[in-house]
Order: sequence, then structure tokens, then C-alpha cells
Amino acid sequence: MPKARLFGLTAVSAAALMAFAISAFAQVKELHVMHAGGQWGDAVAKCVDADLLKEKDIKIVVETPGGYAKLAAQAKSGAINNVSTDGSTSELSRMAAEGLIEEIDWAAIDPKPMFDEAKNKYGFGSSYYSTIMAWRKGVPAPSNWVEFFDTEKFPGKRALPDYPDYVLPFAAMADGMTPEEISKGIDLDRAFKTLRRVKKDSIWWQAGAQPPQLLKDNEAQYAISWSGRVVGQEGVETSFNQGMLDVSWFVVAKGATDEQKKMLYQWFHDQTIPEKQACVAQYISYPGPSPELEKLLPKDKLDQFPTYSENKKVQWLPNGDWWFKNAAEIEKRWNEFKLEQ
Amino acid sequence: MATVSEVGEAYVSGHQRRWEGFGFLAPLLLFALIVFDVPLLIVVFWSFNDPETGFPSLGNYAAFVEAGSYARIIWRTFLIASEVTIATALIGYPLSYWISRLAQRSQLVAIGLVTMTFWVSILVRTYAWIVILGNGGILNRWLQSLGIVSRPVEFLYNEGGVAVGMINVLLPFLVLPLYAAMRRVDPRLIHVAETLGASRLQIFWRVFFPLTAAALGASMVLVFILSLGFYITPAILGGGRVPLIANMMDLLINKFARWEMAAVNSVILLIVTLVFYGLYQRLRERAA
Repeated sequence: MPKARLFGLTAVSAAALMAFAISAFAQVKELHVMHAGGQWGDAVAKCVDADLLKEKDIKIVVETPGGYAKLAAQAKSGAINNVSTDGSTSELSRMAAEGLIEEIDWAAIDPKPMFDEAKNKYGFGSSYYSTIMAWRKGVPAPSNWVEFFDTEKFPGKRALPDYPDYVLPFAAMADGMTPEEISKGIDLDRAFKTLRRVKKDSIWWQAGAQPPQLLKDNEAQYAISWSGRVVGQEGVETSFNQGMLDVSWFVVAKGATDEQKKMLYQWFHDQTIPEKQACVAQYISYPGPSPELEKLLPKDKLDQFPTYSENKKVQWLPNGDWWFKNAAEIEKRWNEFKLEQ
Repeated sequence: MATVSEVGEAYVSGHQRRWEGFGFLAPLLLFALIVFDVPLLIVVFWSFNDPETGFPSLGNYAAFVEAGSYARIIWRTFLIASEVTIATALIGYPLSYWISRLAQRSQLVAIGLVTMTFWVSILVRTYAWIVILGNGGILNRWLQSLGIVSRPVEFLYNEGGVAVGMINVLLPFLVLPLYAAMRRVDPRLIHVAETLGASRLQIFWRVFFPLTAAALGASMVLVFILSLGFYITPAILGGGRVPLIANMMDLLINKFARWEMAAVNSVILLIVTLVFYGLYQRLRERAA
């Protein structure tokens, strides 16, 4: 019967089509990673991930946000779904000390030239970012952290990061600690003294997009913010002075298979290509670690980058070991401080 | 006269009928068991787990009591949840009453307006309050331009700000069931009361309100339980200064990786909520 034959034919071709679809699908391999996402994540998706899929059939699947706690949770559950996460220097120390990550095989990455400080035994330095002071155009400009936290001479609300790593060093400096002292360790008593003093004038933010918005809406007049979100923004002024320059690290989760590691190292390698770093930098001013990058960046915007020589020399780098060794104490006191309000 | 066997048969068939539909229910029960009850038991297990040794211990509960701040935040959450529930009821009851008295077509429009808030994401609704009530918001600019205040009034970044945002989100959860209950009130009862010479106030308090009180109570319990889990509103409208249970959980799980402590908090929250729910049920039974 023609009808039956037609049906058979359709079934066969459908099966063939499906088999083809499955084989085509199987060629593209997925690599699951975690990172902060946001504007930086979008830029990396456009400048790095898209080419990786086209050229190497590796599809980067991102879960946001990442960080120490999520990697620890994953390790505890025993299922290594994400082979990498990003993290700050203090998080990197903690992940390494707790045995959550493996050493990086730098030979396998075969990176293009990159700054030595971005090459860690346990971490691939993907980009630089700063945590700096920002204020609404028109209010008196503070020049250091003592002035920033002086609510009498500089009246107004402060938008502060709801993350201990990004606010405690500055609060301690407001009480007179120097950047040199800070890089050895933070006096928590002095840091919390400052935060208690400005409690009535604080608004705490969680998402990097909040501080510029709070400044623009005149909800806050001063803010501590991640540099890429505020530098060069209309109506917002910033200073890198005494800012915290940090590297955004990517790690290799313990338990990742060799195949996953191979794909991950390919992704890392692509991130060391200066042209791709320049591509990311046009969307957000978080520069990659290539020494050749500065040449590729627009001259008039150089001073927006945390690694620009004039900016780099007035900033300081955090001490990851101190953060790791004092994690329990910081956690306890931060909790008490947040909950007593 | 029914014989013993007839009675027995009736019993059996009734008993059978009770179990007849079980096959249809089984998938749902199994689903709830696997995705909800088992994880809940795991949470209880975690709360008694010593992270160092892996053996059961009461150490986490001791840490909970010792820290004090956890209990304080649970207490604050219950306090704000109660305030929000009462305020939502005070606003929601008259609103539902008013809607149920409108002409048929206007009722549709009014209920549509109430439901419409569900279409806007909570995040957007929360930010909208900053535009209205913020230090540089519409209301403050208006108050300042009229010379009523010289510096902005702090509506937000405190418990009041959090409460406003929560009431806004929770109002439909009270209004919709309450409106439905009010529509079910038999109008003849009102007519009878009128015929018997009751005043409008008497009709409301002695006929209408008692008939809708149970629905009001049930909606308030719903609002109360929902308000225990708010995360975005306190984070944004509280300016991070009014952390509630969900914010504390976020801190413990996503930043500090302290699952045991988060589990202890969950278990205590669950017990306290169940006690409240039990009390409510007893009150309801006594009222009925």
C-alpha cells in the first residue's frame, strides 16, 4: 500500500535525520565553568567563547556566579559539574589550601606572553580589576580612604560592598592603616570601628551594577565599586588612589577529567591572545594579562584601566594568605556586625 | 434492617473507594517524596553532622545558641513577617470588600489590576520603590520642593522600607482568596439581616465579617509564611542593613560554605513555623 510505504519512508528518513543530528551534536563538546558573568561575562562570550565553538567545537556553558563556596559545595556533593570557577586572590588561597583545586599545567596552556604575577601555581590570571572609590559628580571629592569615610567633612550616603574582602581593607585604612600594613594583614578591630561609625550612612550592595546606579539616582553620594562599573560613567567620578588591584583567577577543580582539562586549557590559552583581550576591554575595562595589550587599547581610554601604569603604581595587591588564615575569624565578626544592625 | 454482612460490605466498599484513586495519586506522592521530603531529611541530617569528624553531634546547635546572632535574625524575620501580615490584612480586607461590592464589569477590571502586579518581575517592582521613596525619589523631591522637609526623609534602607516592598508583593496573595470568599457569601443572609432591622454596621460585624473571617485567617497565614522567605526586597530596599533569614542563608551557603549552620537554621525555622501553624489550626478548630 502506497500509504504504508510513504509512512515507512518518512520513518526511515526521520531516523536518519535524527542520527545525523545526534552525531552533529556529539561533535560539539560542552565545557561547564562558573564565573561572575555580568558585562565581563558577556564580553568573553562574544570575544572568546564564540570563536572557540566555531574553531574547536568546544561550547563554554557558564553558571553564574562562581567562587569558593560554590566550588566547595560541588566538591562536597561529589559531582564535578563545573570544572572551573573564577575567584579573588583570597579565594584562590582558600581553594588551594582546602585541596579543592589542582595545580595548573602551564605547559599545556602554552600561553602567549603574560605578566608573571598573573601566573600562579594554582591559578590562571584571566584579567585585572580594581576596587576603588567613586562619587557623584558635584559632591566634594575625597582623595584617600580617611576622607572617604569622613562623614562630617564629606556628608552623604556611602554605597559599600556587602563582601568582607572588598570593604574591610578600606575601612581599616580609614582608621589610619597604610597600604603597606594592609598587605601584611588587616586589623579587624580598626576596620569594624570605622564601619560601625558610618553605619547610619551605609547602603550595602551585592551586585556590581548597583553602585553606579545608586550614585546616578542620588541615593548614595559616595561608593566603593569595582572599577569596570564606574570608571568613565556619565555623572560619576572615580580615583584609583589607594585602590585594591586584584587578579581574577580561574582554577582547575579537583576531579576534572583529562578531556575536560584539555578543553579548559584551550579556553585559557585563547584568553591569553592579546587581540581577544583587547576585544573584551572595549566592553568593560578589565584588561587581560598580556604585556602587549596596552598597545592595542584606545589611547584616550588608557587611564580607565586598572593596569595603566599611572593607576597601577597608586594601588596595592591583596594578601591572599592572610585572608585564608583568618577566614573563620573574619566570617564570625562579619556575621555579628551584619546582624547587629 | 441491615444485616451484619451488609454493613460489612458497605464498609469494605467505602474502604475500597478510598483507595481506588490511589494509583492516580502515586506519581505525585512519589515525586513529592523524592524531590521534597528526602532532601528535607538530608537537611536535618546535615544539621547534626560534625564537619570535622563526619559523625553526628549537637555541636552545630551549640554554635547556634552561642552565636546568638542567628536567633536574633530569625526573631527579626518573624517580627517583620507579623508586621507585614497585619498591614497587608488591614489594607487588603477593605480592598477586597470594596471590589466585591462593585458592578460585575468593574470587579473584573479591579481584579485585573490586582493580578497585573504578578506580570511585573519582583526585581522591577522592588527597584520602582527606590524611584518613588528613595532619598532622591519622587516623594522626597516633592516634599522638599513644597518646603515640608529640608533634607530627604529616610523611607528606605530600614525595616520600614523592607515592609513596604513586601506588602506590595504580597497583597494579591491576600486579596484574591479573600475576594473569592466574599463573593461566596450568600446575599440572602444580608437581606434577612436587613429585614430584621439590623444596621449596616451590625450586618457587617455580625453577619459578613464572621463569614469571611476564616478566609482572612487562612490568607494571613499564607502571607505570613511567604514573607518568611523574602530575599530580594531586604537586599535592595533594606540597603543590606536589614538582613532576614534568606539573606543569612545566602551568606552561609554561597559565601562561607557553611552548610551545617545553614541546615541548623533551616531546621529551627521549620520547627518554629510548624508550631505557629499548629497554633493557628487549634485556634481555627476552637472558633469552628
